[in-house]
Amino acid sequence: MEKLMNILMEIDDSIDYENEKALIDDRLLDSFGVITLVSELEDAFDIDIEASEMTPENFNSAGSIYKMIQRLQEN
Amino acid sequence: MKKLKKVILFFVLFIVLLWACSIGIQAVVRTAQGAVSGRSRVFASVSAEKKNTIDVLVAGDSESYTSVSPMDLWDQTGIAAYDCGQPGQRIQETYYMLKTAFKTQSPKLVLFETNTMFRDPGLLKNVQLSLTEPLAYHFPVIKYHNAWKALFDGSGGLKTSYKGFEIRNKIVSYEGDEEYMKETKDKTAIPEVVRVYMEKIKKLCEKNGADLLLVSAPSPKNYNYKKHNALEEYARENKLPYVDLNMKYRDIGIDWKRDSYDKGDHLNISGARKVTAYIGKYLTDNYSLPDRRDEDGWQEWKEMAKEYFEELNTKLQQ
Amino acid sequence: MTYQSLVYGFAFLPLYLAAYQLAPRKWRGRVLLGSSYLFFWSLSGSLIIYLLGTTVFVHCIGIWLEWLKSEQKTALASAQRSEKKKIKSAYQSRSRHVLAFGVLMLIGILAYLKYYNFFAENVTGIFGNILPFTLEEKKILMPVGISFYTLQAVGYMADVYWGKIRAEENLEKTALFLAFFPQIMEGPICRWQDTGGTLFEGKPLELNNLTDGYIRIFWGLFKKKVIADRMSIGVDAIFGNYTSYSGAMTAFAAVAYTVQLYMEFSGCMDIIIGSGQLFGVKLPENFRQPFCAQSAAEFWRRWHITLGTWFKTYIFYPVSMSGPVKKWNQYGRKHFGKYVTMLGTSAMALFPVWLCNGLWHGARWSYIFYGMYYFTLILLGIVVVPLRDRILGIFHVSPGAGGLKYIRIAKTWAIIFVGELFFRADGLRAGLHMFGSMFRDFHISDLWNGGIMNLGMSRADLLAIAAGCVVVAAVGAVKERGIDIRKSLAQKPVFLRWGLYYALLLAVVVIAAYGDGYQAVDMIYAGF
Repeated sequence: MEKLMNILMEIDDSIDYENEKALIDDRLLDSFGVITLVSELEDAFDIDIEASEMTPENFNSAGSIYKMIQRLQEN
Repeated sequence: MKKLKKVILFFVLFIVLLWACSIGIQAVVRTAQGAVSGRSRVFASVSAEKKNTIDVLVAGDSESYTSVSPMDLWDQTGIAAYDCGQPGQRIQETYYMLKTAFKTQSPKLVLFETNTMFRDPGLLKNVQLSLTEPLAYHFPVIKYHNAWKALFDGSGGLKTSYKGFEIRNKIVSYEGDEEYMKETKDKTAIPEVVRVYMEKIKKLCEKNGADLLLVSAPSPKNYNYKKHNALEEYARENKLPYVDLNMKYRDIGIDWKRDSYDKGDHLNISGARKVTAYIGKYLTDNYSLPDRRDEDGWQEWKEMAKEYFEELNTKLQQ
Repeated sequence: MTYQSLVYGFAFLPLYLAAYQLAPRKWRGRVLLGSSYLFFWSLSGSLIIYLLGTTVFVHCIGIWLEWLKSEQKTALASAQRSEKKKIKSAYQSRSRHVLAFGVLMLIGILAYLKYYNFFAENVTGIFGNILPFTLEEKKILMPVGISFYTLQAVGYMADVYWGKIRAEENLEKTALFLAFFPQIMEGPICRWQDTGGTLFEGKPLELNNLTDGYIRIFWGLFKKKVIADRMSIGVDAIFGNYTSYSGAMTAFAAVAYTVQLYMEFSGCMDIIIGSGQLFGVKLPENFRQPFCAQSAAEFWRRWHITLGTWFKTYIFYPVSMSGPVKKWNQYGRKHFGKYVTMLGTSAMALFPVWLCNGLWHGARWSYIFYGMYYFTLILLGIVVVPLRDRILGIFHVSPGAGGLKYIRIAKTWAIIFVGELFFRADGLRAGLHMFGSMFRDFHISDLWNGGIMNLGMSRADLLAIAAGCVVVAAVGAVKERGIDIRKSLAQKPVFLRWGLYYALLLAVVVIAAYGDGYQAVDMIYAGF
């Protein structure tokens, strides 16, 4: 989780990731932000994120991103 | 249930509102000349005529009002006729046009130009017209809705209309085959929607005590023998009198070099006057229509006839 | 028949509603399907065969993909741990081939119908002398709505492939998802998640849905008939004879066409979404106050939203997460730094999106130009961010400062107007000529020295347009503040609410551009 937080802060440090639950829906992260985030995550966690994972539900909060990472690591 | 009642109340109020607007707009249309232009103009102008001052209604599409000149008819026979055709009139419009006219007039004869009887705009358009025309009849605010624009735009330069007739003095000869009525046994089909509405028109005329006369105006562009056969048959089956002027254009004296307005589609003023003379004779021979020329209360017609012949003279001298 | 016609709203819809309500619940889906096919047939006749073919095809591909998934599961369950990876990739590649087959087939049909002549013309134009054969232009009839239902079909297959949804087993449901009559002509482009589930539920009609739906329909009629159809007179006059108008008039035409297109397209959407609501179907929104956008990118998140979403989901993300782009991402960040890498990624992912966006509208160079126009502008928007922040920093203005918002909106308006000028112009050459004329002879006085008044729109027409725009803008401003108009109206006293409804209805009856002097104007987007 800490690793994830560091990555997120690197992309935009003005967002309160602890509490924000609508990163995508409120457009705090735009599609380019998400793409950058995805490639960072793939490197850091050694996972393969596919286009099908690109849903608001997966990226709306730090928690949901973390859940997705865990799910992909299990596979 | 309560909600449903509310919805019904909403609609009832809306209908009242439409009705009120209709009364208002009709008052405007009757008094303000030129508030209605375009195809609806004749609806407004025939409604604005003084009550019971029309003895013959000439109905149909553009063939009708380019062929019969009420002022010439008046001058020659004293018959009070009114051209209430519309460009490209559809049969639904004919029916509601007559209904509108019958509201204030009690003509003894409806002279219907038959070109409309072959017009079939297709199923969708027919459905639409069968919806919109009654709506527009009951709520004239729909028919005259563009009248509000006259408030801002002024009435616009409308041509003088002599009881629905305009003087068209252009000549564009018809150069085609003069023998366009070649005998054949074939028949053009009369669309079903026309038959339905013709039935309604017949009943409407009966109810209002008006005879119905079918007339085909001379027009090589629009008529041929197939249509003649179809109309002939239709008239026989429905026991209606039918006069095809295309069969008689030589007797009438039509000269296609000089009497055509647009290459044999419509007649110009010279052609229209010849046809009017013929029709005047036909009407006096076959119907007992009143001669209003010596009656009281027809001053407006006399004045209009004077204006008409003045305009005619200046136009013909050009 | 078009959605704004009287027959649709007051004969077709009531008939369908009655049939729907009278049918037993499990038959209602079929009533909708039958109605939809009847509607489609009334528009395109025998070309309905394309829709039927696509439906069966897509349905089968969906089931095939689903079958591969379940096969994979059974194979995995009995497999050794070491083999699992192999099995997975084997099935993955099979699924990918099935999806590719499905997508290529549908896009192929669309491309043939839509682009064959364009292709033939340009090939002949460029290589005409070299080629041993000539590509004859053909008269190709296109079924209505093919650009819309093809996208829905492709989206459906991709979603099944990705496992976002399960393939539908009932052919009738797939059929209705593609053919639902309110949306078949010009969208909104739905995903299965939007409507696939609810369409076949056969929910009984509800009074609330009926009233709200019809009010929305009238609101759409207001936009389309009072404003757009009037504006089209002037717009057609200028674009149809663009060489005889000066710069100021051309600028006016760009603005006027933008207004016309918005009122027309969003108005039709109101009618469409309202129609869906009558049946209790919630269609996705296609517009969200686009003229409040502060950038070209934001404009496209507020304008034709479902098309933008489709491109984002099925082109932008797949491209940006494809092998080559990911490799570039890794390589770039090592060698060029974040900024350059991001620009490269954006360019690679955005280019196909905007090329497709342009082409989707039709086979014309001006549409491709239109796509590239937005590609360039949106990419520029990303390029200048650091520079902009630096400049603002010098003047100690924060990027979020209030006054800047209006400057940004004004800038975005200019971008939109120019874009629509090219979009509407009769070919790229005409577009470039018109654009150029704005810089050659621009005299603002041309507008009132007879310019606008001579386009065939009378004083009253212009007044109606202006008043209509004010009303639409006011409603937009309220919505932009996040207020749900219908909810807040429901709390207002009944005479105020009804007064507004009556005003809307009467405005449509009295002010709308129909009858004498007006011709019915076809729906613009149904042509794409």
